[in-house]
Amino acid sequence: MTTIRAEWTKLWTVRSTWWTMLAAVVLMAATAGQLAIYVANGNTNDDPGDDAGVVPVGAVLIDSLELVQYAVLALGLLMITSEFTTGTIRTTLQCTPSRARVLLAKAAVTAAVTFGLGLLLGGVGALVASPVLGEWGTAPPAGTFRDVVALAAYLALIGVLALGLGAVLRSAVLTLTVLLAVLMIVPLSLREPDITALHRIADAFPGEAGHHLLAGDGQPYPPAVGLLLLAGWAAVALLAGRAALRRRDA
Amino acid sequence: MITLRALTKRFRETTAVDGLTVDIAPGRVTGFLGPNGAGKSTTMRLVLGLDRPTAGQALIGGRPYRELRRPLHEIGALLDARALHPARSGRAHLSAIAASNGIPARRVDEVLATVGLDDRAAAKPARALSLGMGQRLGIAGALLGDPPVLMFDEPVNGLDPDGVRWIRQLSRSLAAEGRTVLISSHLMSEMQQTADWLVVLGQGRLIADAPTAQVIAGGGLAVRVRSPRPTGLAALADRLTAAGAVVEPGGTDELTVTGSTVERVGELAYELGVPLHELATHEASLERAFMALTADHVDYRAGAGGAAA
Repeated sequence: MTTIRAEWTKLWTVRSTWWTMLAAVVLMAATAGQLAIYVANGNTNDDPGDDAGVVPVGAVLIDSLELVQYAVLALGLLMITSEFTTGTIRTTLQCTPSRARVLLAKAAVTAAVTFGLGLLLGGVGALVASPVLGEWGTAPPAGTFRDVVALAAYLALIGVLALGLGAVLRSAVLTLTVLLAVLMIVPLSLREPDITALHRIADAFPGEAGHHLLAGDGQPYPPAVGLLLLAGWAAVALLAGRAALRRRDA
Repeated sequence: MITLRALTKRFRETTAVDGLTVDIAPGRVTGFLGPNGAGKSTTMRLVLGLDRPTAGQALIGGRPYRELRRPLHEIGALLDARALHPARSGRAHLSAIAASNGIPARRVDEVLATVGLDDRAAAKPARALSLGMGQRLGIAGALLGDPPVLMFDEPVNGLDPDGVRWIRQLSRSLAAEGRTVLISSHLMSEMQQTADWLVVLGQGRLIADAPTAQVIAGGGLAVRVRSPRPTGLAALADRLTAAGAVVEPGGTDELTVTGSTVERVGELAYELGVPLHELATHEASLERAFMALTADHVDYRAGAGGAAA
């Protein structure tokens, strides 16, 4: 608990935390607004081919994440990479020699903050997208609530994934590059040749797991499995981070 | 009490710390002395569990650092005063450290007062702090848990004369309270004034572990001779060298002799008929003692030459 309080204090006493969160909110508002405009335009222009019909606002929120998630990932990975850049990791480990405790405390703070931020982002996105969608959007309370909670859970888990990876790689740029590859590039490349086995592998990647959690389509697995897969990725990243912190000199 | 047992740390080919066995006892200021690259900082990092030893052990009060639950109550350390998040204020930095070990927030104000950082300085982001203020902030962090063991790595670096004097007084008063105080430095004159005891390191190995006075005396008492007659001095130097003393000329009219006595030098001068303007003993400096100590370590000298090149 004391370690969590220390991490909490550290997070909120640097301005970059606030800037990153503000960036995420602005990005969400802009992306959700733009995607909502596309839907409305598609339905009203002369080309019937791009009619999306009436869409739930949750779908717009989920599509917006494709971009917005990177601001949230930055929050997670900066929790640890900034400590390596500034050398404060040595102070942190001096205060709390147990590497597992340090990483768990950071994970708890990251998950709590990114989950809360996710709820806020869902709210902001819905507020922006609903009026733009107008008659082309629906916002069933139960469905929208479920989408926003799933979105927040997704962001919390990839935030922890970014943290664990950051503990292994130590550099913010390197961590973000690897995250981009794992979340997007690798699964996309695996789907390219259209081979069943490769599709199965791609389905197991965290970005895809998140997609199936958020879309709730049950294909090829139900949302709960997506959640478990994501949690598994986050846990493995944390374990790798702990091993790296234990073995290597700080 | 800090206990090092056969502590060894190798980085690829270089051995930074080599089989170091020494106890750092409470109640006195122990100077951790050695040239840059001698392994002082690595030893301190090993004590704090930041580096993993290749072999051997470093214990604080009998336990390895990584096993300590609330380590700031056991040992406080200042390693690198610049290791701060540039955007975080000094006060926030200390608050986070305090929170991590369950130290009440009012301790932050107490240690800030102890190190002489006022509210304005403590509210500044770390990037706006001078190195001297950073050192004070680092020492404040070390004092937070009121630990019985304190360890400062090169604390006088970047400090003005007032700051240097302040560190000296602080270290002495901490030791007087019965704490273990270990201070590293490559400045021998500084250690000569601050430390009661010296642990001298060269190339990662223990060269001396003795009271400061004894280490200095190890350099031998020196005898200074002045004479207006250079030929006479040269003859005196020859006789002394033949008798096994070490003679260093200081200009044309002066000699500094170690490994002899003032009586012997005086008698020889009388025998040779050399008129003297001065014949006096003076205490050898720590610098001289350090040279004498490391001169025996052929490896060390070769290594030092290589490192400088």
